[in-house]
Amino acid sequence: MATDAKYLDPAVLAKLQGLALRARRIVEGYVAGAHRSPFKGFSIEFAEHREYAPGDDLRYLDWKVFGRTDKYYLKQFEEETNLICYLLLDVSQSMTYQSAGAPMSKLDYARCLTAALAYLVLHQQDSVGLVTFDNETRAMVRPRGNPSHLGDLVQVMERTAAERKTATGAIFHDLAERFRRRGIVVIASDLFDDVQTMMAGLEHFRHRRHEVVLLHVLDPAEVDFPFQETTLFRGLESMPDVLVEPRSLRRAYLKEMEAFVRRLKRGCRMHQIDYVPMRTDRPVDVALSAYLSARR
Amino acid sequence: MFLLALGITNLAMLGWLAAAAIPVVIHLLSRRRYREMPWAAVEHLLAALRASRRRIRFEQWLLLVVRMLIVVLIVLAVAEPHGRGGGFLSAPAGARTHRVIVLDGSYSMAFKPGETSRFDQAKALARRIVEDSPRGDAFSLVLMTEPARAVVAAPALEPGELLREIDNLALPDTSADLAGALARVEEILAAARREQPGLDRAEVYFLTDLCRVGWTAEPDSAAGRAVRDRAGRIAQQAALVVIDLGQAEAENRAVASVQTDRAPATVGETVTIHAVLRNFGRQDRPGQDVELLVDERRAAHKTLDLPADASRTVVFSHRFDAPGPHLVEIRLAADALDVDNHRWLALEVKDDIRALVVDGRPSGRAIEGAAGYLAVALAPSADRKTGPAIQPEVVPESALVERDLGRYDAVFLADVAQFTAGEARLLDNFVRGGGGLAIFLGPRVLADRYRRELGGKDGLLPAELGAVVERPGGRLDPLGYRHPIVRPFRGQERAGLLTTPVDKYVKLDVPAGSDATVVLATSSGDPLVVERPWGLGRVVLVATSADRSWTPMPLWPSYVPLVQEILAFAIGGRQAAENVLVGQAIAGEAPGAGPVSIRTPRGKNETIQPSQEGLTAVWRFSDTTASGPYVARFETPTVSNQLRAVNVDTVESDLTKLNESALRGEVWPGAPLAYQTTWTDSPTTRPATIARRSSLARPLLYAVLALLVIETLLARRFGRAGAEANSNDQVSMTKE
Repeated sequence: MATDAKYLDPAVLAKLQGLALRARRIVEGYVAGAHRSPFKGFSIEFAEHREYAPGDDLRYLDWKVFGRTDKYYLKQFEEETNLICYLLLDVSQSMTYQSAGAPMSKLDYARCLTAALAYLVLHQQDSVGLVTFDNETRAMVRPRGNPSHLGDLVQVMERTAAERKTATGAIFHDLAERFRRRGIVVIASDLFDDVQTMMAGLEHFRHRRHEVVLLHVLDPAEVDFPFQETTLFRGLESMPDVLVEPRSLRRAYLKEMEAFVRRLKRGCRMHQIDYVPMRTDRPVDVALSAYLSARR
Repeated sequence: MFLLALGITNLAMLGWLAAAAIPVVIHLLSRRRYREMPWAAVEHLLAALRASRRRIRFEQWLLLVVRMLIVVLIVLAVAEPHGRGGGFLSAPAGARTHRVIVLDGSYSMAFKPGETSRFDQAKALARRIVEDSPRGDAFSLVLMTEPARAVVAAPALEPGELLREIDNLALPDTSADLAGALARVEEILAAARREQPGLDRAEVYFLTDLCRVGWTAEPDSAAGRAVRDRAGRIAQQAALVVIDLGQAEAENRAVASVQTDRAPATVGETVTIHAVLRNFGRQDRPGQDVELLVDERRAAHKTLDLPADASRTVVFSHRFDAPGPHLVEIRLAADALDVDNHRWLALEVKDDIRALVVDGRPSGRAIEGAAGYLAVALAPSADRKTGPAIQPEVVPESALVERDLGRYDAVFLADVAQFTAGEARLLDNFVRGGGGLAIFLGPRVLADRYRRELGGKDGLLPAELGAVVERPGGRLDPLGYRHPIVRPFRGQERAGLLTTPVDKYVKLDVPAGSDATVVLATSSGDPLVVERPWGLGRVVLVATSADRSWTPMPLWPSYVPLVQEILAFAIGGRQAAENVLVGQAIAGEAPGAGPVSIRTPRGKNETIQPSQEGLTAVWRFSDTTASGPYVARFETPTVSNQLRAVNVDTVESDLTKLNESALRGEVWPGAPLAYQTTWTDSPTTRPATIARRSSLARPLLYAVLALLVIETLLARRFGRAGAEANSNDQVSMTKE
């Protein structure tokens, strides 16, 4: 409970209570009475088989197929028509950065964001899943709709240590294949990766008709570059160290960051992806409320 | 070419140019001092670095160059570079000039080629220089006397103030002190640069008769080199104008010296007065009138011929009938330079000369004891017409402390074994006050006691006493008869000075650098008679005895005249102190502690207070810039006068002058110099040859100021501007 409270500050979440997460477009699945659904029933109809991956629920393992082929396959069912939200949390080393002026690291901020969203989704009886990733998938929790599921999600978030590089492109492609049911994919990351590769991965989600929300989490220092004294910047994620005189470099750096964000925005616009910038010095509730209000 | 036109005043300051490396060092040090922090967006940082590496390098170099330039320019400004000659370095029209006027104050400037003296002409020219100068110019005034005097040192901006000073200037009777005048000028220029930076250039005017004796020193001497160095430095800082007021064919005659055969004289004694007259001109002067004045009354008159560039001695005899101070004056017929046609002598005339003879080996019988012969030799005759009245008083050595030495003119010590500290102090005071002391040694003398009480650095003994030398043999050496004590023996072989036998004497050692003079030496070169001045008096030390114990000299014909000459010389110290040259201080023993009134030759009365020196009250007066008699008047304990005579140094009487080429070659070799014979402010005659001097210190400081502003702006633009940029410069983090 203490862990939950860390990310689910009641004061924060109270502000989100009235906000329903709604799709802008028709997605597969609405809460009965509240959504129109093209599907019937609840987890009853078999759809297809899929190869087992670590983290999958063993209850759905098809023992008959295993008996015949000696391979693990999962039975895929046409599931409930509820909204499914996939939360993708970047746990690469670059997310651990926290400047002197920021209240928390980017990773902690992203954890808050994803936890808050998970709570909201669960609170409206929808399902939410979680994937933590860096240059590979570190943990994956399948979407569930029961309220106790939140504890599992938070536990996974906590457990994951940030120590590797980011490589989003391959991960996104893989996840796009795994997320069979259409839903909302919310990615919380600093996106310090090759934009083109990353965009190709995001496009894959869109191709699978997921709605994608990109929460771009940045430290204020990464946005403002306020440094005055000569500084040796020690590169995270195996990047080299750089000794610079920040005042003379600031303009060029800001220009470079501007171009990076612009490329991101353009890519998102092209693929109809929600791009949401998040500064870690901005309260989580304010940032999230602003975004969700806009969605309504 | 530009650099050739530059001069540097403080060349040593250029060493500080190394400080230009400070910005580089700070830059390198700042690269070594940095903070560290982890960073996620390294890729973007590297991209920014790649994109702006050249620009940053350029900016850093630019800032570094500007900062180094600031240091360089500050150092250059402090080094005070200045430009010479024309071109842009010349002071612009309307520039303010500091004019330093140097008036030659040597007495040769009193020469009157016509109605007015050279000095009056110089004053008139100085007035015109001031009056013709544009408003805003500043003036300083130096009088080239001995010693040179800055009459107005700080640049006077008000011409009226300087004109008043010029009008009030009186010509003293001193020589010219060129080195001192140049030193004053250099000090004035340096102070003006410091305190009056608004003065753009400087000009130095020398108004002089260019007398060679005043303007040249031995070229290879230290003084000559110092004068040339200083003159060269002044030429670098200021334009030089020499206005020559001298006349090449100026004739002059002077009384070069006056002296008596003995002093003090005694009442009734016939005193011989020798006066040396010199013709410094190129024409013979026959039939020159020479007068002897005693106490301002004509006492005798003679006529003599003075050949060109030669000296002649005229001898007068005079008998003084009253005791006290008497003023003797030799006067030559007037010429264009009158100040050196007079010479004065202050002569003390006494009723008799009192000598205290201290016998170290007293005896009950006459001519015995150590001082018997000495007393006889001091007063061989009672005839006042042939010699001075000398009253020797022989006492045993124990009586020395009991006597009031102030009553005696001389003290003779004959074979006195030793002295107490009190006796030594009495003798020291006696000689310092002008008394004469003659010391004859002998068998009883304890050399170490002499050394302890009278010798050493602070003792009056002219030589250190060594071992006794026996049977030296050979003839005495009069050392060329140069000394006044032995001079009368020249050509008087029968007097027997050289053959005087000396069986024993104490070896005397004259310390190196001492002011003592060896009067007479033995054949082996050991000093036999040594003298030295001590305060106002003199000490004579004789290495052998005054009686026959060490030498049969008392029986020799040379003994009486030698003792007489020793006495005359010993008591002549006071006379020498009473007759000095212009500029030297006059002094004397004050009878009381009350104030002393000094009447100068120009009729001015000044009151001074005597000071206590040892047991004696001494008065001293140093403002002796006028030649002639000075009278010191005392009111306590009784009314009395003391007379002093101050005379000109006749080297300045030689009016031979430097011509223009000699001036350029000997005083200012190679320096730009304007030589003129009068003052004109016309641009055609004025300073084609004058090197203008314009200090570059101020433009350099302006440049430093500009560079400081530029540096601030550049630093703000290159660095701080980036840090203080507004939100427009920040990454746009708005939602898409």
